Amino acid sequence: MIRARHGLLLIAPLALVLAGFFLAPVLMLLPTSFREYVPAAGFRPGYWTLENYLRIITDDFYREVIWRTLSLGLLVTLACLVLGYPVAYVIARGPPRWRMMLTLLVIFPMLLNLVVRSFGWIVLLANRGLVNNLLLQLGVLSAPVKLLFNLTGVMIGLTHIYLPFMVLMLVAAIRNVPRDVEAAAATLGSSRLHVFVAVTLPLSAPGILAGSILVFVLTISALVTPRMLGGPTYQVMATVIYDEYMQLLDWARGSALAFALTLMTVGIIALSSALTRRWAGMS
Amino acid sequence: MSSLTLKNLSKSFGEPPVVRDVSLTIEEGEFVSLLGPSGCGKTTILRMVAGLAAPDRGLILIGDEDVTRFPPNRRNLGLVFQSYALFPHLTVFENVAFGLRRRKIGGAELDRRVAETLARVRLDSFGERYPRQLSGGQQQRVAIARALAPQPRVLLFDEPLSNLDAQLRDAMQIELKRLQRELRVTTLFVTHDQAEALSMSDRVGVMARGVVQQLAAPEDIYHRPTTAFVASFIGKPNRLSGVVSLRDGSGGRVRIGAELELAAIQIEGPVGATVDVIVRQEAIAVRLGRAAQGEIDGRVVLRSFSGARVQVVVRAAGGVELIAEAPSSGAIASLAVGDAVALAVPSTAVFAMAPEAGGP
Repeated sequence: MIRARHGLLLIAPLALVLAGFFLAPVLMLLPTSFREYVPAAGFRPGYWTLENYLRIITDDFYREVIWRTLSLGLLVTLACLVLGYPVAYVIARGPPRWRMMLTLLVIFPMLLNLVVRSFGWIVLLANRGLVNNLLLQLGVLSAPVKLLFNLTGVMIGLTHIYLPFMVLMLVAAIRNVPRDVEAAAATLGSSRLHVFVAVTLPLSAPGILAGSILVFVLTISALVTPRMLGGPTYQVMATVIYDEYMQLLDWARGSALAFALTLMTVGIIALSSALTRRWAGMS
Repeated sequence: MSSLTLKNLSKSFGEPPVVRDVSLTIEEGEFVSLLGPSGCGKTTILRMVAGLAAPDRGLILIGDEDVTRFPPNRRNLGLVFQSYALFPHLTVFENVAFGLRRRKIGGAELDRRVAETLARVRLDSFGERYPRQLSGGQQQRVAIARALAPQPRVLLFDEPLSNLDAQLRDAMQIELKRLQRELRVTTLFVTHDQAEALSMSDRVGVMARGVVQQLAAPEDIYHRPTTAFVASFIGKPNRLSGVVSLRDGSGGRVRIGAELELAAIQIEGPVGATVDVIVRQEAIAVRLGRAAQGEIDGRVVLRSFSGARVQVVVRAAGGVELIAEAPSSGAIASLAVGDAVALAVPSTAVFAMAPEAGGP
């Protein structure tokens, strides 16, 4: 056990960097979010308002963007979980000589630049892209399906990008499930399926939650992929914030949105950790 | 409850084989231990019986039913692990109920049988707790209750007591033995602890290198070992290097060093062969004074007191050192370093075998 004083010393370097270059600038934006921006004139002097926050709750456009961002996060997390668990299971439990190969395969997409990967998806998913052309020529479709600049496109792109995070978290969790406990269930009369449902799945729950939080948080704050695969019209919170800051120069409204997103993220992490404590506390 | 029969069971994970052609029958209600050093194949046998490993050759029968190819969930066995392997996410009640629920038992019948089994292991009031809230001994009792609850045909134990401290282990040995006698459940117990195996079992099988060397009652294993390996593994041996000087039936005489010769009840090797001589510490009698006919002169060089027992190291003629062990309340306890003593070594406590053959 490390003593508290030594513990503090060990985390001090990172804590200082985060405090100086992350926390301080973010907090400096807090007052900004209560200002009003007058185009071409800057902030109205001496005027403070809750208008920027109220607008997020009342404005239909913002409400839809928030709703869309959250559902996107949920869908991508679910997709990563469903696609990732079987792979993670094979990596954790399969033949040892497959382990290295599969792990490399899972990590491999992360070696490519984000923009390159997103362009790849555009080539594949466009109206005259590889997928549509193939399906049209095979006669499966009579007209191209819209796979880009909508939920489908953004979801495919984000799932692809964040799947490795989920898989790596799940592999660690599944490898932590004691084989003896599974064997005990089997000798007590559990079929292989029941062993999985009654023992392996609940005991890997901490990893499922950790992976889900990670993917969810990364998804709702992703900017490049939604911008490229969602186009200028299919907006999520991160792209709206970007536009407010960089296109409209309305830092006040951008800051308010950014804080709303941060608040949501923190709330979701807090909720999930409470859940994790209740589940994982038992293992 | 049923008997358990192994026929010509073999298993290898490469060379050499882990289990070689093992055949044995455990009668209905009998308690049999497999005892041996780590790597002797005893745990592999247990895992094959449980269905967690597949034998390369041979048959496993429970009663008259051939279960060799059955998956573990269709064998109706109870298995208690060294690591306890409790379900950490379930309460004690649900742990014990697990096997019953798999057998479609529910409602009042389930409650009754879980309560009954928990009472058997004296954990009546612990049903709502989680395993992590229990001590090691309590967790072990939950593991036993969980295995017992579905009334398995055969109960298997894989070194269940080796994670407990010494006092608790002794108490659990007695508790386990009483439980097994009450329920008359056929039991296969795997351990590397000879005291455990000897004190609890109806019969003990001593294993080495994948082979059951001797399967017999504890008294026979201790007093009448059929192989020198068994003799070297049971009790507290002095292990000395010697040469066979005379063969007479299964025994004879062995020479240790230049001046010491002992009668041995069992010798594996021809006259002139170099052998490891096993002399049981607890069989050597030590008294103050000069040696009489058939005794050995020596001098105490070290005395080691460990509570109930005391050990003395005696240097005999030719510099050979023998360790003798006795209850600390007897005359041996008053010996001091430097005392001249006489040793009597009964031939029934001396065995000789090919060098290092006793190693695992």
